Amino acid sequence: MTARYRFLCTSLFLAGLLAWAPTIAAQGPPVAPPHSPHPTPTPQSLAEGKTLFEGTCAGCHGIDGSGANGPDIRNVGKQLGPEGIYTMIATGGAMGSGMPNFSSLGDQKIWLLVNYVSTFDETGGGAVTGDPAKGKEVYEASGCSTCHMIDGKGGDSGPDLSQIGGVRSAGFLHDALLDPGANLPQTDAALQERSPYPSYTMYRVVMKDGKVIEGTRVDEDSFSIQLRDAKGQIRSIQKMDASKIEVEPDKSFMPSYKDKLSEAQLNDLVAYLAGLGAAR
Amino acid sequence: MNTSRSRWFFSALAVIALLLGTCLRSGAQGVTYDELVHSADHPQDWLTYGGNYASQRFSELKQVNTETVKDLKIQWVYQLKHQGIFESSPIVVDGIMYVTEPPTTVTALDVHTGKPLWRWTATLPRDLLTIGLFPTNRGVAILDDTVYVATIDAHLVALDAKTGAVKWDVEVGNNKESVAITQAPLAINGKIIVGMGGGEGGLRGYIDAYDAKDGHRLWRLYTIPTTGEPGVETWEGDSYKYGGATTWNTGSYDPETNTLFWGTGNPAPDWNGDARKGDNLYSCSLLAIDADTGKMKWYFQFSPHETHDWDAAEPPILFDAKIDGTMRKLVAQANRNAFYYVLDRDTGKFITGMAYAKETWAKGLDANGRPIELPNNQPTTKGNLIYPSITGSVNWTSSSYSPLTGLFYVDTREQGAYYYKGHPEMEPNNPRDIGGGGGQKVVGGDKAYSAIRALEGTSGKLKWQFKMIGDTWTGTLVTAGNLVFCADAGGNFFALNAETGEPLWHIQLGNSVRANPITYAVDGKQYLEAAAGNSVFVFRLP
Repeated sequence: MTARYRFLCTSLFLAGLLAWAPTIAAQGPPVAPPHSPHPTPTPQSLAEGKTLFEGTCAGCHGIDGSGANGPDIRNVGKQLGPEGIYTMIATGGAMGSGMPNFSSLGDQKIWLLVNYVSTFDETGGGAVTGDPAKGKEVYEASGCSTCHMIDGKGGDSGPDLSQIGGVRSAGFLHDALLDPGANLPQTDAALQERSPYPSYTMYRVVMKDGKVIEGTRVDEDSFSIQLRDAKGQIRSIQKMDASKIEVEPDKSFMPSYKDKLSEAQLNDLVAYLAGLGAAR
Repeated sequence: MNTSRSRWFFSALAVIALLLGTCLRSGAQGVTYDELVHSADHPQDWLTYGGNYASQRFSELKQVNTETVKDLKIQWVYQLKHQGIFESSPIVVDGIMYVTEPPTTVTALDVHTGKPLWRWTATLPRDLLTIGLFPTNRGVAILDDTVYVATIDAHLVALDAKTGAVKWDVEVGNNKESVAITQAPLAINGKIIVGMGGGEGGLRGYIDAYDAKDGHRLWRLYTIPTTGEPGVETWEGDSYKYGGATTWNTGSYDPETNTLFWGTGNPAPDWNGDARKGDNLYSCSLLAIDADTGKMKWYFQFSPHETHDWDAAEPPILFDAKIDGTMRKLVAQANRNAFYYVLDRDTGKFITGMAYAKETWAKGLDANGRPIELPNNQPTTKGNLIYPSITGSVNWTSSSYSPLTGLFYVDTREQGAYYYKGHPEMEPNNPRDIGGGGGQKVVGGDKAYSAIRALEGTSGKLKWQFKMIGDTWTGTLVTAGNLVFCADAGGNFFALNAETGEPLWHIQLGNSVRANPITYAVDGKQYLEAAAGNSVFVFRLP
């Protein structure tokens, strides 16, 4: 029965953790209960933290923190710091997030976890080298806001980037700008509760009357598929009315900026985007 | 009721029964054991968790069939008063539907309107332990005029079927030691059979029988032998003391031989077996149990020394069929480990088996049904990709079997996972150490899918499949109307042609269906029931 519990837990946890940062922005940061000062890690405490992590956290975050059904937390030490991690574990996700509250572990065990997860690869997400202020100018000049929204401003045919720095590493963002189709997000905070599948996957549907519909998948079930076409219109298709439904791997409505931006501009843009979200 | 009206009433009922091809039950004494044994004669009711003692989830009703199913419409919806993970498979008797709400509430609904007639909720401890399971409930049992429910804090409670008043309440296990129950009990002749869950908390599994009248315990069978008993040598050291092997799903019953058939769960800790070397009997096994004494008649272990959390708790299905020209009494199970097994029901002897879903851990089964394991099929510290995933090719949901088609219908998932090996020690009673020993990283998204598969009952050979998007947790229902009912993760409740798998009808219910559907009849109309999200949906023809 563990598996069922773990599956459901991880699903809830994933949705919760992805929704965590924006919820903080709306409701104010959660406050950890009174606790002891951050203890200096020792080899023994790290070993104890590892054991605790494997039994408590690995089901969602993977044995190495790289993410299972839950998100990659290898950068969490850098992003949140010891107190931030402590608060996250002790308070769980905000209301509605689904992230469990682990305060029952107690002060000592939470610190064991904090110190252990802080040892994960802190640079695995890629380093930020650009200038975020210049990056904002690049963002505005490149027309990104036609499809993307930041803090309520911009289009909505692409992912909302208001919190993107909290859920995507700098390396991921850099690669996504060069080859958007190859770096489709595996999950999307805004769509996670609607669909468990990779978002923005391109589909080409040939209807039985010969019409062709192309768009990114918003959702899909066994009998229907919903696409967002190039104009941003939702197209709901009953599968029984289609003669062919095919995925178009490595394709995206978003163009590559490989030849449109200099490396310096790319790094500036990445720095701007990486600063959006929980890190702000 | 005056004489003429009474005569008219019973005449009308008789006509309705004939239209439905069913017999009327007396109703006066509630549900007798004899009626449970012959439940096929009363398809207007759904009398046991599995539809009959054989757990076939097959109904003789056929008003809704391949021709008429397209006209099914929602009749009423009942929204739960207690939100949570809703996995209940109702019982329907004498115009009342008994459904359970999470974590442990029994609600009696008027089947005509969906209006609650009474509701009973267990009083649960504030420090409730649910280690390795979700606090939910999958259904009740009924015998005579009493409804039986097992609670999440491991009590067995008898309720008056007409009022919900408590008749008796006994403790099956100590919840402070992680014992918790989500299953529907099984009512047989004067006895209520119930298993338990919570094996990840570090305990020995068992199954109990209680006197239906007063609740005193008649017998207990531990699923792990202790010192001096045969089989204890299959556990290293004292690992047998906390090896799990719980009995957390409802089993089946053969009245002819008075034998219970009950599956057992995984050994603990789940993904690291280093401290429990050996086959770990009787984990991941099917047990045949004398219902009078609780003695084990035979066992069949599907997954010796299991390290992937592949419980064998899936309800076993009993049926009789010809094997090599000879009629045999069979018990079959589509196991969580991706193999389909057919056993002799009287002896437990392996007859045949084969993989029904993708698996990468065994080359096949030997002549005795033991898996021929492949190298590198164990969890590792760096993660090892193995099919199926921890949730298995099927989990707690029920398969169904149609004696008309001879097919076994299983809702299966095709999904692998990276298995990780963690620490081997148990940490008993730690609610956050859900199982210990490691974990998984599933290969999800578009790389995984579900399917309804129709298997030839006597062999497991694939007859047809209907692919689904997402991860199904529904179970199947098959009817004499030549229909298989199931649902997908996207909230579509649907009907397939039982012989071909052709989709014939579907409706979007707005949330995933996480419970086995049932069917019954009232006033000459066949109904279908599906639990989606936190609601009960009921359908019938106009």
